[in-house]
Amino acid sequence: MDFGFTKEQLMFKQEVLRFAKKEIVPRVQEHDLASAFDFAAFRKMGEFGLLGLHLPETYGGQGADVVTTVLAGEALGEAGVDGGLTLAYGAHSFLCADTLFRHGTEDQRRRYLPRLCTGEWIGCMGLSEPDAGSDVAAMSTEAVRHGDRYILNGTKMWITNGPIADVAVVYAKTDPGQKHAGISAFVVEKGTPGFSAGPPLIKMGVRTSKTSELIFKDCAIPAANLLGREGEGFLYAMQTVEWDRSALLAPFLGSITYLLKRCAEYAKGRVQFGRPIGHFQAIKHKLADIRIFGEAARALVYRIAWCKDQGRPLNHLEASVAKLFIGDWSLAVTNDAVTLHGGVGFTHEFDVERIFRDTRLAPIGGGTSEIQKMIISKLM
Amino acid sequence: MNFDFSETLKQWFAALVEAGKDLAGLLELEEADEKAAASGLRQGLARLAALGYLRVQTRQTDGDKNGVLALMGAMEQMAGCCPSLFLATEYSTRVFGRAVSAWGSAAQRTRWLDPLAEGVLVGAVALSEGAMNVENEPLATRGQRRGDKITIEGRKQSVVNAPAADVIAVAGSLEGEPALFLVPRAAAGLTVSPRRVTMGYAGVLIADLTLEACALAPDAVIAVPDMARMLDGLRFWENQVLVAAALGQMRMALDAARDHAKTHRSGGRPIIAYQEVGFKLAEMLTLHQTAQWLAYRAAWAAEAAPKEAQSLTLCAKIFATEAAERVCGSALQILSSTGYLKGHPAEVAYRAAKYGQIAGTSTEIARVRLGDEAMGWR
Repeated sequence: MDFGFTKEQLMFKQEVLRFAKKEIVPRVQEHDLASAFDFAAFRKMGEFGLLGLHLPETYGGQGADVVTTVLAGEALGEAGVDGGLTLAYGAHSFLCADTLFRHGTEDQRRRYLPRLCTGEWIGCMGLSEPDAGSDVAAMSTEAVRHGDRYILNGTKMWITNGPIADVAVVYAKTDPGQKHAGISAFVVEKGTPGFSAGPPLIKMGVRTSKTSELIFKDCAIPAANLLGREGEGFLYAMQTVEWDRSALLAPFLGSITYLLKRCAEYAKGRVQFGRPIGHFQAIKHKLADIRIFGEAARALVYRIAWCKDQGRPLNHLEASVAKLFIGDWSLAVTNDAVTLHGGVGFTHEFDVERIFRDTRLAPIGGGTSEIQKMIISKLM
Repeated sequence: MNFDFSETLKQWFAALVEAGKDLAGLLELEEADEKAAASGLRQGLARLAALGYLRVQTRQTDGDKNGVLALMGAMEQMAGCCPSLFLATEYSTRVFGRAVSAWGSAAQRTRWLDPLAEGVLVGAVALSEGAMNVENEPLATRGQRRGDKITIEGRKQSVVNAPAADVIAVAGSLEGEPALFLVPRAAAGLTVSPRRVTMGYAGVLIADLTLEACALAPDAVIAVPDMARMLDGLRFWENQVLVAAALGQMRMALDAARDHAKTHRSGGRPIIAYQEVGFKLAEMLTLHQTAQWLAYRAAWAAEAAPKEAQSLTLCAKIFATEAAERVCGSALQILSSTGYLKGHPAEVAYRAAKYGQIAGTSTEIARVRLGDEAMGWR
């Protein structure tokens, strides 16, 4: 057993940290307050090579392993990049681009991946629906084959990057009589007649990521837009869970490191009762709890990434453990961070407030904590 | 990066578990009186010595088994079989043994560590004093040279293994310099109080010591380079033991609760089918696995990243010991009256769990240290 990283991996993490601090972080607060997606930062991430980091160079990627990809995500969070932009990056790179790479034809890969790697195009994934969130098999969006086309009808909900995406990986029932086995995956481009996105949702946190419905009304797409094979869509969607529990959680790990630094700086500088509040044990205890949470979460995420690099099938129990722990336990420490800052922690002046709001998604998005508990208890 | 133990280690762990379970059934330490506890400890040590368990980190064993990470994995297995035997063994082997190994002379190492590794010697370390807090209070135990002897005066509290030990390493100072005094159990001037009755670890013999004009030969003194290093080292090894103990307690309680939830039926179905029970088990497993990986990472750092090791071990200790109390408490809830019976694994684990938060670096002091470190004050 060895928890060490290679020198190259650590150097790359430092490069990403420097890049993010210089090119993205100065713009974060402005975009968060405006609830605006930072297109320029996203393109810079593409130029730097982050958007296709794990994809082969043939398609414009960097060919990095999963552990390196996780470290890059961690560096984004550690630099202070907001949860909205990192969520958009995750949905784009892992839920959309990776699915296209894993299951797309060579033509599909050539058409989409280079554009997604540079950030010229933005990708999203449409799986959840208004009445089919955790219960994916209950989805009602249908894709009916008519000759050389599929006609899509239905509505997808909670789609990260939905309003700004150029291309979407969409899951729909091709056999409504079946549950999971009736689901297939498709690629749908912006501008396709019958395909539209709803207005951006106004959210509590991760405000710089744009979230909306995807609406399909008699949307005809070429049969060639089927991804992989009919009836295998659910399997493809579940494969993204590996990314969801590793690379998508990685920026969050980094943001806890960032949060600890911010809180420590504040505790050293804020004077009450004649001394910095950091001298009070209660404050030290809060700092300790943030550190402990970050360290505890770290090995869970690294392990999933390492297993993926080894080509091992996802251990669903361990993946759910990681998601449940990070989702549930993050709330207390981010809440403590706000409290530690007192009144200013409740304002936009300090970004602990944003991190608290962004973190509130952790036990909800990508499978609620309750769903993780269901999975774990069934697998025990 | 590699998240797997080697096959050799896995086989060794399996052998330890087999021995640990045998010993738990044979010795019944959790129900033992003082005499039975002392003799049970020696029987246990003899069996564990045969498996090479007592050589790890004190007397060289083969490379694969000698690392701190391998030790953490092995301790975790033992802790989950027989908590009292585990704790007594570790305070002897890994706290006393590592102190002698780290700071003792070649002659001292030969004299004490060989029999320790063979399972024929029980050691103890006496650290805490009246204030119990070695962070803020200087040690009052002192030695003085008188002719060709060194005499020690002092009082120590809550010394694990004191009534059963052949030798006790007493932490103090010798004319202003930090020292460990190796006091034989039969030394004149050493008084061991009656065994303390404790909430958990019923099979561990814990007592206080009084040293009054306790005379030792000079070769019974280990000179330690610096007091902070000595205290940090002793606490560090103790904390590692307590982390492993917590992992073992969680495993015991979780296994018992899971098995019960799968087989005990209510309303026509196993109780695990009810979300109130299933979700509780999921939370317990999550705490256990998270603590386990944090413990492994901290143990790995002890050798691979020493600068991080102290603080990572404190993180692991706080998290694992607090998680253990929570997991064991939830197990009792799931097990209902079955788990509340004296001697049930979950009951034994629950009573033992609190000790981990108090002993070693207490969770409160550990948090202060981590907070100071976050602010660059340490």
